[in-house]
Amino acid sequence: MNKMRLMFTSKLENEAFARTSVVAFLMPINPSVDEIMEIKTMVAEAVVNCMIHGYDGKEEGDIQLDVQYDENRMITIQIQDYGCGIENIDLAMQPLYTTKEHLERSGMGLTIMSTFADDFQITSTLERGTTVLIKKQLHVESEEEK
Amino acid sequence: MKHQYIDGTLYFYFYGDLDNLTVCNLKDICIDLIEKYRPKMVRLDFEEVTFIDSTGIGFVLARYKQLMKSGGELVICNLSKANMTLFHMSGIFQIMKYERNGVKL
Repeated sequence: MNKMRLMFTSKLENEAFARTSVVAFLMPINPSVDEIMEIKTMVAEAVVNCMIHGYDGKEEGDIQLDVQYDENRMITIQIQDYGCGIENIDLAMQPLYTTKEHLERSGMGLTIMSTFADDFQITSTLERGTTVLIKKQLHVESEEEK
Repeated sequence: MKHQYIDGTLYFYFYGDLDNLTVCNLKDICIDLIEKYRPKMVRLDFEEVTFIDSTGIGFVLARYKQLMKSGGELVICNLSKANMTLFHMSGIFQIMKYERNGVKL
């Protein structure tokens, strides 16, 4: 088992830092090109949600990112904010539903995460924050890849 | 991002990571260019785009709505396999055209 934790400020430029850091951490276990794309996208969606929804665009909130992988190549990513929380998770999960259409949000973030993840959980408390938990099983490595 | 206007068509060519920050920086420029030229058609080319997320989909949907007001048409061009998967999830192709290739800068 291997793990890492990042804590960063909800500044927009930190989203690229977050997704590239996760991929860099996972390099030793050789994710495929498609897996890298999916992981980057899921992290981007989760972190942007913390910034835009959790902290309503205010760039002084904390975002905590935990990543771990085990010997079976199961990856667990947890992304947490301490912001406003989600009133109705079922509604938020609906494809194309967004509370921020004026900001040109598509309402696809949670749909994309739950599609790419093998297991996807979201817990939220109003005025306390939201945690997203993503599990992703990587492909079995062939002998040539090892 | 590059753009060009030829015979009523406004072309946008995006490249690199089209993430939330990038879209925030490009959005107003694109809105203003569409306002300025009032094109019959806008073509968004994603051939050189290495990363896109739901922010990009939101941007495309918003430009579609912007063009609807003036009766313009929007065409999405040259998505990679991974980017295509993402766009498909949103059902965007039920309302918008998709094409491969076309005029290049």
